[in-house]
Amino acid sequence: MEKTENTESSEDPLIQVPKAQINVLEFHVHDNPSIDPALFPMPVADELRATGHNIHNIRLAVQSNLGPDGQFGEQWLLIDDQELMVLDRPNGRAYQRHQFSLDQIEDAKIERCVGNGLIQVTVDQQPHVLLHYSNDFTDRFGRVAHYLKERAKNGPTTPIPDPNADAHVCVVCGKYLADPSAKVCPSCVQRGKIFKRLMQEAKPYWGKVGIITLLLVAGAAINLIPPRLTGILIDDVLSENGNAGLLVWLVLGLLGLRIANVAINIVKNWLTINVSGKFTAGLRERLFSHLRNLPIDYFDKNQTGRLMTRINQDTSELQGLFSQMTNFALNLLMVVGIGIVLFTMAPSLGLYVLIPTPFVMVAAYYYYRYMRPHFRRFWVARWRLNAMLNTFLSGVRVVKAFAQEDQEEARYHNRNDRMLQTQLQVNLAWGKFFPLISFAFSAGGLIIWYTGGQAVMANRITVGTLMAFIGYLGMFYGPLSNLTQVSQAMNRFVTISQRTFELLDEAEQAQPERPVHKPNIAGAIEFKHVTFGYDPYFPVISDVNFKVQPGEMIGLVGHSGAGKTTLVNLLCRFYDVTNGSILIDGEDIRNLSMDEIRQQVGMVLQSPYLFRGTLAENIAYGKPDATYAKIIRAAKAANAHDFITAMPEGYDTIVGEGGSGLSGGERQRISIARAILHDPRILILDEATSSVDTETERQIQEALDELVKGRTTIAVAHRLSTLHNADRIVVLNGGKVEEQGSPKQLIENHGMFYNLVQMQSQMARIDGSTASL
Amino acid sequence: MIKSYEVNYLTADRVDFARHGDTLSLTVTEENDIRVQYPRVVLRSCFPVSDQAAYLSIRDANAEKQPEIGIIADWTELDDKDREAVAAELDLYYLVPKITRIESIKEELGFLYWEVETDKGPQEFVMRNNITRTTREVSPGHWLIIDVNDARHEIEHFSALDARSQKLLARFLSM
Repeated sequence: MEKTENTESSEDPLIQVPKAQINVLEFHVHDNPSIDPALFPMPVADELRATGHNIHNIRLAVQSNLGPDGQFGEQWLLIDDQELMVLDRPNGRAYQRHQFSLDQIEDAKIERCVGNGLIQVTVDQQPHVLLHYSNDFTDRFGRVAHYLKERAKNGPTTPIPDPNADAHVCVVCGKYLADPSAKVCPSCVQRGKIFKRLMQEAKPYWGKVGIITLLLVAGAAINLIPPRLTGILIDDVLSENGNAGLLVWLVLGLLGLRIANVAINIVKNWLTINVSGKFTAGLRERLFSHLRNLPIDYFDKNQTGRLMTRINQDTSELQGLFSQMTNFALNLLMVVGIGIVLFTMAPSLGLYVLIPTPFVMVAAYYYYRYMRPHFRRFWVARWRLNAMLNTFLSGVRVVKAFAQEDQEEARYHNRNDRMLQTQLQVNLAWGKFFPLISFAFSAGGLIIWYTGGQAVMANRITVGTLMAFIGYLGMFYGPLSNLTQVSQAMNRFVTISQRTFELLDEAEQAQPERPVHKPNIAGAIEFKHVTFGYDPYFPVISDVNFKVQPGEMIGLVGHSGAGKTTLVNLLCRFYDVTNGSILIDGEDIRNLSMDEIRQQVGMVLQSPYLFRGTLAENIAYGKPDATYAKIIRAAKAANAHDFITAMPEGYDTIVGEGGSGLSGGERQRISIARAILHDPRILILDEATSSVDTETERQIQEALDELVKGRTTIAVAHRLSTLHNADRIVVLNGGKVEEQGSPKQLIENHGMFYNLVQMQSQMARIDGSTASL
Repeated sequence: MIKSYEVNYLTADRVDFARHGDTLSLTVTEENDIRVQYPRVVLRSCFPVSDQAAYLSIRDANAEKQPEIGIIADWTELDDKDREAVAAELDLYYLVPKITRIESIKEELGFLYWEVETDKGPQEFVMRNNITRTTREVSPGHWLIIDVNDARHEIEHFSALDARSQKLLARFLSM
């Protein structure tokens, strides 16, 4: 393990000791070395000395940001070889609040409060709250509590954890991260790198982007000509001794330029939408194909909603931003181009143009800054109004049942009124600001009229030049004010690109390099010292050992939270074991290819998921090429054929979101048919009948009995009646195997299984069903 | 004996709180003068947002799932010693700093970085820039702001803040 130097220190004068063994960030397994006293402030060290502790023996030091009075403050929890101390540090001084001998601590835990949490130890069967900490310190104190608990069980050799391990920090600067799904904090995002990456991603479109750029330049150039022609028109045609013959050519020229401009714009817009659309569609596809290869725990950590945003909203916003960027580019070209033309036409007048420029920029900046909150308020009000309507419509029965129509109407009225108010505010703000900003624009024109007029009268420039100048001016400030929005848009652009790339860079689930092929397995399973925890420090499965013979049916029982579902998830390799191994036919599942595992292992879950499509497609989900005959046979075996054929559209009935409603039992039988057709060697039934009534359970049970024939089956069950023909029962308790054996043996043992059966047969007497075993 | 679905109201004369360090213990006098000792209790306000004084649920922290011992209808009517103990415990249990002034709110990459002055001291926190989910208007001008760690921050009266804070808030919240 690499040693990391922790250079972050508090503001206090620090104790000067050689920083030779700073290794707090290391996970100590065998020895428990002390930590550097320089990592806690001097008053704390002083108080430790004063209370008779050797500060060089401190093994663990964790800081809390709350004081004993619930105010923000500073408390320290320290552990040395023998004792645990808690010190408060108000106003620089430190004093000891608690001291316990480690050997006396019988138990420890953390508890959640509101906005904070607490750590508690039990000494002499008496609970003692050590300190409170704010929510961002939960992980750290959780580790401390876990250590104390383990030490109480296993003695002083228990390894001391690093409380900061796996802390959610920025990989670049080490600062605490706000966004748990991010890896880098906002200030460490390297904008340059992101743009480079974007360019790389856009490589297939470089050609088209080049054409767009050329069109942009051409468009800008064409836009620059008309005022110049107007100038010539005034000076050479409309003046005394004007060349009347030129008029028609000049007007034709203007017409030609307008047509060219329209043509260029059409082609440019089409190309931009084409490129940005294709680019983002490609990106979406890549995100999806990456997503499907991510391990399940990624989906546990990231809510569906957030992932949806990333894939749908982010990419479409990216597309919008692309168009905005081409607009910026055009505006920039216009500003530069017009600037050059103005200065070459009349350098002295050009300077006057610059005078209002800062005002225009500042006004535009504040305009957007001022308008944005108004818009935001309007959007939120509109959203609230929609949400209210939505809840009303979906709960209309309840509203009527409780005769609350009047109150709902009043509520709707309130929100509608609020939206109206915000809308009026937007318009008012717009109405107030818009004339001001147009004044700033026109003020520039007035200066030119004055100084330019003087120049014309002094014969320094012609009337045509002045008119051309005024024309250019009208085209100058608009793009200029638009450019003040560049940084805002760029920020958005970087944010979204960063998020997108982060998702793309998420590590896919590890696949064996050279997978062992086992096309026809017999179905033997072995759990060998299997230990697993979502957080490695808090195992939910510890040292589970048992074997399953091919064709055997195992019932997995235990209280909720005992680790049953986790264990079958491990068998499907939704997660990888932390320690030990799972073998199928003697081969570690990590050496088998993922496809093969999924091919051989089938699942029927508690809440079956039906995809949008026909019933036939849903049954054939694992085998899309299955024949009608096979689908019907599977449905028949699953006890589903009769209710399917009773439907007007039979196997062609559309189900899934928005499709016709099936009852829970019917959905479950569809999923059983799916498993039958999939024909796996190993079958997992995860609480397959727990959410249905007794009659439906009987029908499903019949279907399941058909399904398990000749397969290795692991059935997780709450209702023990599901396990009436299990060969063996494995009882899990707290992540460990409590007992195992045939149902008969276990009942004779009078252990945990016996108790569960007793409890359920009492329940069964109440609801009239039979828990026959 | 009180049935499990009935509320056991604890009156001031039946409870005796004591604090040792951060641990709150309780002695309850039950019917026929039996005194029951609870080495550690936790307090949960039934209406923490609208009325902290009313209906305080007292729970046995030492038992699994922390069952309710009883409810104190109005804890401000307890005697001085008990009231102080309860107030101190509530201060610890509910860390909902009241924002008294806003130094700055910065928006960066989808998050708002707040720097505020609160009744519990100065604080910095980070909030997801999704105001429909991260803020709640309890009543007009009374706001709850929920940060990324699910910690709450309270603005009791929007209009009681100084002009600068109001302006900053109005920029980011839908006030």
